[in-house]
This record gives sequence, structure tokens and C-alpha cells, in this order.
Amino acid sequence: MMKSSPLTHLEKLEKSGQASLFPNRIKITVGCASCGIAAGAQAVLEAFAKGIKKHTLDIQLQKTGCGGMCHQEPLVEVWIPGKVRLTYGRVDKEMVQTILTAIQKDAVPEGALLKTPLGAAAGICCEDVPDSSSHSFYSKQNRVALRNCGVIDPENIKEYIARDGYQGLALALTEKTPAKVIKEVEKSGLRGRGGGGFPTGLKWKTCRSARGKQKYIICNADEGDPGAYMDRSILEGDPHAVIEGMVIAGYAVGASQGVIYVRDEYPLAIERLKIALDQARKNIILGTKVLGTDFSFDIRISRGAGAFVCGEETALIKSVEGECGEPRQKPPYPAVEGLYGCPTVINNVETLANVSAVMAGGAARFSAVGTDTSKGTKVFSLVGKVNNVGLVEVPMGITLRDIIFDIGGGIPGGKAFKAVQTGGPSGGCIPAHLIDMPVGYDELAKTGSIMGSGGLIVMDEKTCMVDVALYFLRFLEDESCGKCTPCRVGLKRMREILEDICEGRGTAKDLSLLEKLANTIKDSALCGLGRTAPNPVLSTIKYFKNEYQAHIKDKKCPAGVCRELVQYAIDKKTCIGCGACVKACPVSAISGEKKKAHTINKKKCIKCGACSEICPVGAVLT
Amino acid sequence: MVTLKIDGMPVQVPEGATILQAAQKLGIWIPTLCHHEALTPTGGCRLCVVEIQKGTTSQIVSSCVYKAEEGLEVQTATEKIREIRATILELLLAEAPGAKVLQDLARDLGVKPVKRFAPRDELCIACGRCVRACSELVGVSAIGLANRGYEKLAVPPFYERAEDCIGCGTCVEICPTGAIKLIDIAEGETAVAADGRTIQGPARIIENWKVDLKLRTCKECGEPFAPENQLDYFSKEAGLPKDFYDICRHCRT
Amino acid sequence: MKLPRKNKVDTIIAQYKKDSGTLISLLQDIQSEFGYLPKDVLSYAGQSADIPLSKIFAVSSFYHSFSLEPRGKHTVSVCTGTACHVKNAGNLAESISRELGLDKDEGTSADGIFTLKKVRCLGCCSMAPVVKIDGDIHGGMTQVKAGKLLHHYRKDSK
Repeated sequence: MMKSSPLTHLEKLEKSGQASLFPNRIKITVGCASCGIAAGAQAVLEAFAKGIKKHTLDIQLQKTGCGGMCHQEPLVEVWIPGKVRLTYGRVDKEMVQTILTAIQKDAVPEGALLKTPLGAAAGICCEDVPDSSSHSFYSKQNRVALRNCGVIDPENIKEYIARDGYQGLALALTEKTPAKVIKEVEKSGLRGRGGGGFPTGLKWKTCRSARGKQKYIICNADEGDPGAYMDRSILEGDPHAVIEGMVIAGYAVGASQGVIYVRDEYPLAIERLKIALDQARKNIILGTKVLGTDFSFDIRISRGAGAFVCGEETALIKSVEGECGEPRQKPPYPAVEGLYGCPTVINNVETLANVSAVMAGGAARFSAVGTDTSKGTKVFSLVGKVNNVGLVEVPMGITLRDIIFDIGGGIPGGKAFKAVQTGGPSGGCIPAHLIDMPVGYDELAKTGSIMGSGGLIVMDEKTCMVDVALYFLRFLEDESCGKCTPCRVGLKRMREILEDICEGRGTAKDLSLLEKLANTIKDSALCGLGRTAPNPVLSTIKYFKNEYQAHIKDKKCPAGVCRELVQYAIDKKTCIGCGACVKACPVSAISGEKKKAHTINKKKCIKCGACSEICPVGAVLT
Repeated sequence: MVTLKIDGMPVQVPEGATILQAAQKLGIWIPTLCHHEALTPTGGCRLCVVEIQKGTTSQIVSSCVYKAEEGLEVQTATEKIREIRATILELLLAEAPGAKVLQDLARDLGVKPVKRFAPRDELCIACGRCVRACSELVGVSAIGLANRGYEKLAVPPFYERAEDCIGCGTCVEICPTGAIKLIDIAEGETAVAADGRTIQGPARIIENWKVDLKLRTCKECGEPFAPENQLDYFSKEAGLPKDFYDICRHCRT
Repeated sequence: MKLPRKNKVDTIIAQYKKDSGTLISLLQDIQSEFGYLPKDVLSYAGQSADIPLSKIFAVSSFYHSFSLEPRGKHTVSVCTGTACHVKNAGNLAESISRELGLDKDEGTSADGIFTLKKVRCLGCCSMAPVVKIDGDIHGGMTQVKAGKLLHHYRKDSK
């Protein structure tokens, strides 16, 4: 008989968390994840603190994580007790004053973007403000991994517990054997959210039955795909969801040690994790007697040092061990032979945030969402040439059109949608004519791309697909560990050919040579980075061959991007003669009289694009 | 013992043996470069790749690291494998066109240089044999593979004199492309070091590691025979008396 | 090595031994202390911690977080993630390189005030293109804005 059940231990903390989450006074939260801070959230937070102190207002002020509407940062929410929480976007010092003044007058501050009711018994308020459930950005979303981001104070474990936090762990420890926990995860159909899409339950099962007294759980927080920041947001906004997932995994496979391997470029995530781990230990969620049971588990942080390849499991292990992050051949798989040669489960941040939800709410509820082969939801970072840049979580099976046009609000400047890149450097570009395809692991793989970690880079008519392929090759060449010939040498040779094509030196045989190299690298590279490296090139050749042909045969870049193949010129009809371009030009290549059309001296022009950037009327053409 | 099939032929090998070892037992030739029987295999050059079949799944793996499994079916020369080997060799030929081992392999596999690849004049192909040998066989770890990606090469630390080098020359022997240059100069001869110093013979100069080491002269025949550092290291490691290496091996017999 | 410097390294090594740290964490602590990885410190650390210098150099040169050269007073990191790339981060990085008088994509300006680095993804894609100077992130960058920003930092450095 246990002295005190894990659930009773949590009950006490839950009460305190509820009081903090739903105080009897006005609460103001400021979105302080990295993107919010970059947009100026720190100054907003300080302005509120100053204002509250100055007028001795009875307001609870706290930080929160990323709510997802990144295009509206800095984001602020005003919680009116018993009623609603109101979201305000692009908050500046002036708006801080407006909000505080309204609160002082017992009025609802104007200008809210949307409202979310505080509980089922919430009173009616602010009828003119759209409800989040019907707001175009949120109505098609289903926030599971992001359930607490932007809602709770990530530095307060009690608020996490007040929203069913650690319930899943408590249930696992009190009602299920490790084998039953694995069965539940298997039943849920959860697949790895880091990109591989490997069934999580199966990975855990393999590790459980592998031989070895010491086992490890590693959280892969090395989110390296450029344009993807799902994991960062979860770590900064809800670190306990990840910790809980790891402890559950440890219990399931028989591991007593966990490591969170975090990218060096995420200092705020590391800081929030350290605070969370500390709080978890103080509340016996980590340690020798987890929640009062005989299960022992603790977690430490291991920092990356700037290597994309360390997102690959075997390279990650080497990095945790302090070595160069060079992958090795698989099998043996880490679940059997991993960290220090011991059976190791490596799970992605989002996967673990889903694990805690699966154990708390049950496999059936989780798998009720999604498609046959892709259960649950997926977090995507919707970025690039799209109006509503942000972090979204949608049910698997939703179409790309829904994401890009409904949630994303379409393409800015009325430009035409051309393609969306998924899966980062390991993925491919999905063209406009496939925009109604449902999102899922197998569906995306069929197009020649992959789900990847969730980066969705939207591209328009002004994006050159050959330049995109070159961009990814340069990236991968820079990140290649150099161990195997196909990747180390092959990628460089591919990049040389693509550079020739982009600079007007492409030849007729180049495409077939590119494809030959691509196929060799795909088949024979040692690790996943190498084997998927040719995907951006292969997928752009598949869907945008005409662009390649234009570069090779006509020596033209239809999108007007590739420097050697374009000429900068000023459209006489549009130019208003403001002179901004003259000042911006670093080589004084532009001349013209005030209020008269300007011209660019093509011989002097270095095609840097400064004029195009600064022109207020879009008069610079390429 | 484990039984597997290579190119349709059954072979039995002890547990822990690699596919490469199993193939060698059958007399099947698989080209290798980064592999050496005295060193821990790494499977990096990918020249030794084979196609394996386990049930319904097939995979391409380096045979020098893949451990033989019961019931495994291996194909060493399918069309896909041949194409891979050819392309890898084309890539390596452009890296080190002067390397005899690559020229020989190219001839054996019918591979010609690809004009589109501008040749690099670098004999080091980052196979890591010298680094592994220095660490695993000699035990001094004087050199390493620095950088990542295309710039990965075997170098002395900080591209300066490898202070821990004992001049044994194991790296020279084990390098497949002859990238490591070692010369011994005699008593009375001189040479100029990378930093401009004059080196007095008898000395051993290993250019790649920016090392020059004084050679010990045999007390009997008066011929210089091995670097002082090497002899000191060996006698310390083997617990030999101080004067053991006063005479060279020819005079010892 | 001068005594104060040696003492600093000794403290770092003692902590590394106490924590059973890895070579990477040791190098991160050294870089935290000295701003980069000085050769003499690495040499001494290798001897103290019994790690071959060849291994230290291999790991230092493998990971891009590490700098074997002293860095400028301010580190300018231009995000070259995909979302920033499609918003002309490449041109932006080039203009900053030009502004700092560098002959390569990355490096330290002759006056030692700025070190320019291209970094992968800062995760602030809603504000693309993004430039980070030391700990501060600046979004919605243009070539003209970047020039003004550098001027501002340069003035402060005097």
C-alpha cells in the first residue's frame, strides 16, 4: 500500500494551480516565447508592471508561452474572472495604457482580436468580439500538444497540474503496468512527430524487450529544420508536458535516466526547462520515488553545439557522449543499442507532449482524430509568403488549402500561390495543383516529400524553385558530417551543378547528371540526412522542370531571383521619383530628378536588391 | 555460428563476424577503401556496400560493419550496387586523381573520370585509417579528422606540429592513397621545416603532421634507424630497459 | 599561461571532473569564459583533463557553435533559415558583409567591433528576415535598416 497515492499528491498542487489560473481578480498575460520577445514583449511586460504599480491596481501579471498567432506578436490576454479571456495583438506601450485605463474604469478594453470563454459557466461578455472557436485562425485547429501554450505560466508547475498535468503519469503509475502503458500508446496510433513517423508504441516495446539493466529516454530537442519552431514553442510554453512524457516513457520501458538534448540556439528553452526540472524535483515528479512510488527517474539537459546532423538519432547519441556528431549505420537501432551502448528510446518533443495527453485522456480519444494511418494532430509552423505566419495545430487529414488559405489567410500582396515546402531539407516542394491533398505521413510521402518535423514554407510566384533547391543543397553541404563519400562529396558536386544552372552556365546534360547523383546519394548515404538530401532537388525537378529548363536553355530566371540571370530596372510608369532607392544603393548606380522616374545604371548595378526592398510603390522590376 | 547466403551461396561464420568477412571466406571480392582488418570498421567510404534482404525488406549497407545474421540474404553485385560503386568511384577519382588505388579500382570497375567534376588535388579522402591507427594501434592519438563535410581531412591539431607524434610511420603504411609523406634525412643532410627552421639530419620528417624528429643512431653500426620519440614511447609502454633500443634490429640479431 | 587565466581554466576543469562532464560541455564552458576557444587554453585543458589535443581539435572544428578565433565585440547573426531566405536574407547578409568590409560571408571586421555569422534558424519566422545582434533579435530587417542598426552599435562602442 502506498503511503499517499500519486493522485492525492497532485490534488493539493492542483488547488493552488487553479487559484493562480483563475484568480478572482483581473489577470494579464504577455506572450513571452522567443518570437514574442523578439517582437518586443519584454518592453510590454515591463510597461504593464510599471502601470500596475503606479496606479496600485489589483491585477495579476504573468508571462505565458506562444499562443500561435505569431503574426500578431506581441500578444496580450486580459482574463476577466468568471467571464472570458480577451486576446490583443501587436500590443505597444500605447495599447498598454489603453488596456490599463479601461480596466481602471471597470470597462472592457477595446480592440480585442478574439475571446475565449473561461469555463462552461462563463458569463456572457463582449458580444462584438469573435469567439476563438469561430475565428478563422483557430476554428480549424485542434490544440493537443499546444494545449497549454499561451494559456499557462510555463514557469509554474501548479498551473500545469491544474490543467490535468501529470494526471497521465499518475494514472500510469497507479493503474497500469508498464506493458499496459505501452499497449495504450500503441492503441493510440501515435507516430513520431520529429519527421520519421515511426510508431511510438512499437519503439517503446522494442526498447522494453531489449537486453540491458540500464536504459535511457532521450528527448530530441535539436529542432534543426530551418523555418520550424514547433518544439521551441512547446519547450518555452509548456516544458512540463515534455517532462511528463519522458517520465511515462521511462516507466514504460524500464529506464531510470532521461536526457533532453537541446539545440544550443535555444537559450530560453533551456532556461525554462531548467526551471521546470527543478520544480519537478521539488514536487517529487522526478527523483528516487516518483509521486511516492518505487519508480525512480531523473532528467538532465545536454546542450547541442551547432550541428543539424545531431538531429539524427545515432549522431545525437554521439553528441550526448561528447563526441563529434557522426552517425553510424543502423541496425543496430538505438532502442536496442543506444546511449553508452544501452537500449535507448529517442522521442521528439512534440511526440512526448502528445504522450502525456494520450495517457491523461486515453488512446480512444486521441485516435478519434486524424486519418487511418496518421492519428491525432500535427503542429505546423506556417511561415514564408503567407499572411498569418504562426504556429498551428491541426487534425491529420486536413487539406493544405485549409491550412494555407483558411488558417493562413492566403498569400500577401495578392500574389499567386506556387508551392509549399514541407519536411525541411529532407523534404520536397508540393505544387499548387496538389493543394487539396490531405496532410498525413503516407500522403505526403507519395508526393515525393515528407511530413518532417512540421515546417510549412509557403512560396509564391516570386520564389525561384531552382534557387530553393540550391538553398537546401548549400544548407546540407554545410551540415554534412563528412563521414560518408556520397554525402560529403556528392552533395558538393550537386551544388556545383546547381550553381552553374543558377548563374547561367547550365548545360543540357546537367539534369540527368543531377538525377544520377541524387539517386546514388539517396541509395547509398550512411544516414537519414544524406539519404533524404536529394529530395528538394528531385521534387523541384519533378514539379518545376520548366523553371530548370528556362535557366539552362534560355538563361532566364522566370521568378526574377537568380542574380546572374536578372537585370534590375525601374518601371517608369510606377516610379514616383521619391529618391529612396538612390539613398539605399550602396554603389550609387541610380539617378533621377525629384518626382521624375529614376533609372538604374546597369553597368554599376551589383544586383544587391536594396532598391527593390526600399521602394514604396514596387517600381523595381527584375 | 551463423549461416547466411551471399550471392546465393551459403556460408557459416562465428557470431559477430561481418558480411565482408563472410564474403572473404567464400572468396567473393568486395572492394574496400576505409576498411582495414587491424582497425575498427566505420563503413564511411561506402564502396563495400551490398544489398541485404530480410524477409520482405531490403536495405543497402556497408558490408564491413554489418554483422552477419542467421538467414540473411546478401547480394554483392546487383545492377544497383554496381551503379553505386561506379558513382562513388567517379566522385573519389575527382578528389584524388593521382591516387593509384583509385586508378586501379577504376580500371577494375570500368569507371572513367567525369569531366563535369573539376578535379581536386588532395590525396586525403578522409577515410580515417591513419587516425584510427594512431589511436587504436599506436595509442598516441597525435592526429585527427578535423572539420565536417567536404573540408573533413586528416590533420595535426590546429594545423600545427603534432606534438604527440612519435614518428613511427604507421599512418604512412596504412594510408590507402599514399597521402602521407615521410622522409628520413641522414647525418649531415639538412631540410627546411614548414616554419622555416633548418632541420639537421639524422631526422624523420612527416610533412603532413608538420613533424620532424631526431633519429637515434645505432651504437653498433652507426646508422640512424628510428625516431628517439618512438623508441622512448615503445620502451615505456613495454617496460623495457633503457638501453634496449641502443642498437638497431639488424645489429640485435 | 598567466596565473589568473590558468586559475580560470583550473576551475572549469575541476567542475567538469566533478560533474562527469563531456568534452563538448567542457568546451562550452571554456568558450563562455573566454568568448572563444583559445589554443593555449585548449592545450592546457587537454593535459589537465587527459584528453588528446587531436580529439579536442576534431570536436572544436566539427561544431559550428565553437569559434577558434577571437570574436568581435558584437556578434551579428543573420538568420538564413528558409522563411528568411525567401524574404531575401541572402542579399541582406551580403549587404552587411559589404558594410563591415569583409571579403567573405562571415568573419570579424578589421576594427574588431563586429563578427558576422550566418545562422540557421532563430525560430522567429513571423518577423523574417531576422538579424540577431548579441542577445537582441531584430525582425523585419531591410538592408537600409541593418546599416542604421550597425551604425548605432558602432557609435555605442566608441
